[in-house]
Amino acid sequence: MMIRCRARAGLFARCLMLLAFLAAFTGAAGAQTATQPAPLQQIQQIQKQLQQPAQNQTPAASAAPAGDGASRSESSAQVSAELEQEGAELKKLTAAFDAARDDDVALSELKVSVDALARQILTTSAATRPRLEEIKGRLSELGEPPAEGQPPEAAAVTEERQRLMSERNDINALTGQAENLSVSATRLSNAITATRRTLFSKALFGVTQISGEMFSTAAAAFSVEMQQLGRSLTSWVSFSWSYKRVSLLGAIFLSLCLALVFLAGSKRLFASIFRRDPEDDHPSYFRRLSVAFWSTMLPTLSVAAFAVTSYLCLDGFNVLRSDIAPLVSNLLGTVVAVLFVTALSQAVLAPAHPHWRLVAVSDSGARVLTGIIFTMVLINGVDYLLAEVSEVFGSPVVLTVVKSFFASILIALVVIGASMVRPLPPADDDLNARARRWPRYISTPLFLIGIALIAAALTGYVGLARFIATQITITGAIAVVIYIGMLAGRELSRQGAFADTAIGSRLEKRFGLSAVALDQIGLAASLGTYALVISIFVPLLFLQWGFQIADIQSWAYRIVTDIRIGNITISLAGILAGLLFFAIGYSITRWFQRWLDSSVMALSRVDTGVRNSVRTGVGYLGVGLAGLVAISAAGIDLSSLALVAGALSLGVGFGLQNIVSNFVSGLILLVERPFKVGDWVTTGTTEGFVKRISVRATEIETFQRQSIMVPNSLFINAPVGNWTHRNRLGRADIAVTVGYDANPRRILEILADIADKQPQVLKNPAPMTVFAGFGDERMTFEVRVFLADIVSSIGVRNDIRLQIFERFREEGIAKPFAVEDVVADADAATTSVAPAPAASAAVQPVSSMPPVTQAPVTLPWQKAPGTR
Amino acid sequence: MLKIATVFVAALAVAGFAKAATITNKDADTAVLVVVEGESRMEVAIAAGSSEQVCPSGCFITTPSGDRIGLEGGETVEIVNGSAIIK
Repeated sequence: MMIRCRARAGLFARCLMLLAFLAAFTGAAGAQTATQPAPLQQIQQIQKQLQQPAQNQTPAASAAPAGDGASRSESSAQVSAELEQEGAELKKLTAAFDAARDDDVALSELKVSVDALARQILTTSAATRPRLEEIKGRLSELGEPPAEGQPPEAAAVTEERQRLMSERNDINALTGQAENLSVSATRLSNAITATRRTLFSKALFGVTQISGEMFSTAAAAFSVEMQQLGRSLTSWVSFSWSYKRVSLLGAIFLSLCLALVFLAGSKRLFASIFRRDPEDDHPSYFRRLSVAFWSTMLPTLSVAAFAVTSYLCLDGFNVLRSDIAPLVSNLLGTVVAVLFVTALSQAVLAPAHPHWRLVAVSDSGARVLTGIIFTMVLINGVDYLLAEVSEVFGSPVVLTVVKSFFASILIALVVIGASMVRPLPPADDDLNARARRWPRYISTPLFLIGIALIAAALTGYVGLARFIATQITITGAIAVVIYIGMLAGRELSRQGAFADTAIGSRLEKRFGLSAVALDQIGLAASLGTYALVISIFVPLLFLQWGFQIADIQSWAYRIVTDIRIGNITISLAGILAGLLFFAIGYSITRWFQRWLDSSVMALSRVDTGVRNSVRTGVGYLGVGLAGLVAISAAGIDLSSLALVAGALSLGVGFGLQNIVSNFVSGLILLVERPFKVGDWVTTGTTEGFVKRISVRATEIETFQRQSIMVPNSLFINAPVGNWTHRNRLGRADIAVTVGYDANPRRILEILADIADKQPQVLKNPAPMTVFAGFGDERMTFEVRVFLADIVSSIGVRNDIRLQIFERFREEGIAKPFAVEDVVADADAATTSVAPAPAASAAVQPVSSMPPVTQAPVTLPWQKAPGTR
Repeated sequence: MLKIATVFVAALAVAGFAKAATITNKDADTAVLVVVEGESRMEVAIAAGSSEQVCPSGCFITTPSGDRIGLEGGETVEIVNGSAIIK
């Protein structure tokens, strides 16, 4: 909630600022533009073009048989009407262009309309295509007219052919008309661009002869203007006070109330965000940044709110007069701009709070710099106001020029002064040293800019000088805001930075979010900050540089809808739509998968293997479908994907062969299901439990808990053993060797008894005991038992061995001794016996588990008990 | 699955968005079209069997049969017997 409030407040602030800036600067731009002759030739050319379609159309219309109104299909009539309307529209636009050739704002809006019209003309003419196709089809059915000497065709056929031909001509004439209109529209659009370019360069590079006479004229004009201003202000105030007192006071009161509510409310809401705590000696960088950002934004926002509402109220109560309204709007705009830059400089330099300063300058340096910045923006503001006054009272242009001349010179002097101050703190180790100068790479450009401004003004390039002087302050301020915003964004994305913010800690307390989640939110917030800063301030910067809102809108529209590189058009909106559809499809697939698995299949007691296969299959199918939907939503021609597919198939031939083979094998595994998740499988050297079957590889966990990814093609191309394929029943064998002095029948009896009594051993199939063979020193017996769950065989075999050992000892059949070791080396018997089983136990827990493939560890029994 | 999504997005980006009108000449002879795009009027010759991409932002063409056709960009046009068939 907090974030949303903050975001909304920020957005609102920026919108208001945009308005304020617009009010301030578009008016001034109008004042700058000098009048110039119309590009008459262009207009005449366009008008000539406009007359052409009418001429074109006449013969086409007369070509149609008289009274054959029905032959012109409805669609043609509609297209013709639309084209006529568009032609009229184009004429209107041409006239508007003629009227607005000095107004850059109007021109930029005109251009947008003209471009839209050109597009519309194309769309209109495309509507005739289906009918044309029909006519062509019908004509080809009718065939060619009979040549000379051939029998004549039926009169009806001839008539229809003629009718169709005339309609075809009609449509072609219509398209020709559209073609001419389209050419005219494009020409008009280009003419507008050319005019705007001339306007801009005239305003910027116009040269005025600087002379003493000019100044004296200007001085005279200035005194007249001031008298006029004084008169109209007093008359307005006295009039308003006498007749509209209530409205005037009401408007001011209302707007003040709103501004106060806004200021107080935002201060109360965001006090923790932008109050500088004097006791905090080491505020974090992010905190300093956010304080700087918000302490610039909130006051500016409040004042902008006051400015906009008071203007709207005054306007709404009809207090403003036509000569006063632009003055008031410009005054308010200038106040907002001055306040914005001042607040910004205070925020960044913080002259009274050294710990909260964003840049490394000394206390005195910070004071001096804020003073300089304030002076510069004040000069600019006054200059703007005076220019507006001149425009309102229709003063001579020379007065505006002289005012701008002085303003530029003053700003140049301030800039030169700024290049010479010593704002940097003294070097750390030398406390008594004087503050340091700017580094050369800052002071030199500043100095040069100042000199250039003076030179430009003195040589008569007053427009240019004024433009640069304005840009230094306003563009500089906006650039600084962008920079701070970017820095804040970067700081937010640092690990743990978001958790330190007020919002972060509140979220943490409220929702118990983890550090990782907070970092992720921080990342999103940082990206959001970047986007906000770029989308708000970069257009503002462009506005400053003489572009119009309509331009920026059309750019933004073009960037979002079509970026053209050669013949390829990329549409960001399309890509985003595609991604959105993919995300939606993906979520639906996931939800459907879960529902199918947990509701339908689980309730129907479907086998887990089938469930797994169905789930995976549905997943891939869903993702594929979502992909297709997304591709069509993104507006990609699937035929262009065919190219990619062609390239891929070549790649498959070489590099991707294995991957594709694994993929196909994975699909076969899903369908054929030779094993399922949880099965105990053996393939090649790998043995263990299946953990996951995915489309490229299958994850197997060995008994040592090692995960092995086995490519699916191995399961398809090589034999796979599955201990638990249909059921978990399996046989465990235990080999027993006994010396030749024992009675084999008795041994078999004992073994059978033990096997029978073992609870986990199945009765059917019954356990089996066999005399398996004659060894060199001993007889070999085998106990073969069937278990319901082969996975538990290791425990059962262990139990059986223990019981065999105990029963043999009770019966006195033999005592366990390592026969081989004794035979091989009788002297070392005692020492070598012990490590052998221990080693085998340590090394072989896994490989000893499978009961059949690997012979169980045999218990060696000593033939002669006395050899110990 | 995330990997698949990534691959998909990459494919989406790579696949390209051919929006220009594609004109293919299916006739045995070279077709000469008059293409009016923006302010310019030019003749485009398309050899038999070959294709040409024209006017990404829409244009008007005049086919050898004399028909005039408005294209909005993105269409696929075939020239058969000197006249245009729009797919």
